[in-house]
Amino acid sequence: MFSGAIFKQTMKANWKLRAIFTVIPMIIFVAITAVFDMETIYTMADVLEGTPMASMMKEQSFLGVVGSMFFGMQGLILLMIYVIITANSLVASQVDRGSMAYLLSTPTKRSTIIRTQALYLITAILATFVILATAGTVAINVFQGDAGVSIAEFLILNSGAFLLMFAIAGVSFFFSAVFNLSKHSITFGAGLPLAFFILDIMADMEGFESLRHGTLITLFDIPAILDGGNNVWWQLSLLAIIGCTLFVAGGKIFVKKDLPL
Amino acid sequence: MSYININNLTKDYGKGRGNFDVNLTIEKGEVFGFAGINGAGKTTLIRQLMGFLKPSSGYATINHLNCWEHSAEIKKLIGYIPGEIAFPDAPTGTEFLRRQAELVGLTDMSYAEALIKKLQLDPTANLKRMSKGMKQKTAIVAAMMHDPNILIFDEPTTGLDPLMRVAFIDIMKDEIKKGKTIFMSSHMWDEMEAVCNRVALIKDGKIVAVQSVKEVKHNKNKVYHICFRSEVDYERFQAESLVFGEKFNDELKLAIHIKDKDVRDLFKIMKNYDVKSFVEFKLSLEENFKKMYD
Repeated sequence: MFSGAIFKQTMKANWKLRAIFTVIPMIIFVAITAVFDMETIYTMADVLEGTPMASMMKEQSFLGVVGSMFFGMQGLILLMIYVIITANSLVASQVDRGSMAYLLSTPTKRSTIIRTQALYLITAILATFVILATAGTVAINVFQGDAGVSIAEFLILNSGAFLLMFAIAGVSFFFSAVFNLSKHSITFGAGLPLAFFILDIMADMEGFESLRHGTLITLFDIPAILDGGNNVWWQLSLLAIIGCTLFVAGGKIFVKKDLPL
Repeated sequence: MSYININNLTKDYGKGRGNFDVNLTIEKGEVFGFAGINGAGKTTLIRQLMGFLKPSSGYATINHLNCWEHSAEIKKLIGYIPGEIAFPDAPTGTEFLRRQAELVGLTDMSYAEALIKKLQLDPTANLKRMSKGMKQKTAIVAAMMHDPNILIFDEPTTGLDPLMRVAFIDIMKDEIKKGKTIFMSSHMWDEMEAVCNRVALIKDGKIVAVQSVKEVKHNKNKVYHICFRSEVDYERFQAESLVFGEKFNDELKLAIHIKDKDVRDLFKIMKNYDVKSFVEFKLSLEENFKKMYD
């Protein structure tokens, strides 16, 4: 089913990148948490008194602001870059360079290899979120202990962000498994997630709302999660389903395709 | 059925590239060479044997197992040197070999050590900074350390200096003594002559000839170069009823094609001439195939 030896080797080859892309988002989140002051938001709301923005501001909570800042921007883009690089390096890059020949010249099935690499990617993302959530919980308790932040909501946000990353990893991994050349794998495996990101930002602008339908990131609806919206669960389930489908489909194609090794 | 069986194997990449209707049978213990210019389809055939490429039609089997369908199973028997060396991420050669050993389930590294010694390889070097030759040696050790029954080598001596090529051929000869089956592609004729039992020539994806190295070496049709002292003899000799080949008028030398059993007659004729030299012109595998390529 899976190869422990390959998993270990993949872990060894990837730990530096993983460490970097775990520590940086963690520091960013902790830093934001440390400097965040709800009073600032209220002051801004006072300044904007009389405009529609004011009521919006007053309703904001710590998670509403930090959540959409971190999980909607910095954290999201950093983790996406990590996922894109790793997904490509796990399959397409090894086929392109030819080093996959050394895995496949041993009695290891292609399906075992691809399953192991997929498992690694998913585990790595999960581990990153477990670390982020843990560090985040500690930081919230230390710096925002009296702000009344709901840890449960924070953890749900993390889970949602994980599912979004899982779906994006599915996209990148699918193209990594399908293409024999890194350049093709990256064109689609990085291009599509970045397009999602850009569409998501553009959809915030007036007149471009309809772009929301063109990006996976819409399914990770931070305000709706914090409001306990009804659509949240099926949206998150959809992310999980999309991710699973893409991982499985990529694996199925990888097992049957010609490899220039 | 033979140990390695290639049956009507076709892999059509279009534009005449690939393999077309290849049929070969290789017995256990046989050393089979595979020659052809770049792009003739050598690597494509090897990749199909390894189960990396799915044949368009036809099939290949190794030990009765279909190479595409049972590609993981047959790897238990195979040691493989790819045509291009690109190692996975590993800090040193030693670490790479250790990881490969883990993947093939090898715990005893004594044969690996012996190979490393014979090839004078320093595996502790940084894998990425190794020279081409050192990488090739590392690949050779990785392919052979678990002592597989079948060795599939895609141009195994590229990057090796002449001394190391000799060392490698010695290692191959040891493997042959152990009864290993070897399938190798190469464009070094001399090394194929040294180790192979049979050599196939592939051109435009098709096998154009399969030759027994023994037969080429001990061909019953011989070519002799005869050189005369005088022009008179040289001219007179050409009137004899013999099969003449190339003529070198400047040197008063000409080539004779003759069957082994008729050589006595040739000697009788030569008695009447003042012959300066008489040399058998050895046909090598290379010349034999060159004739077919033209």
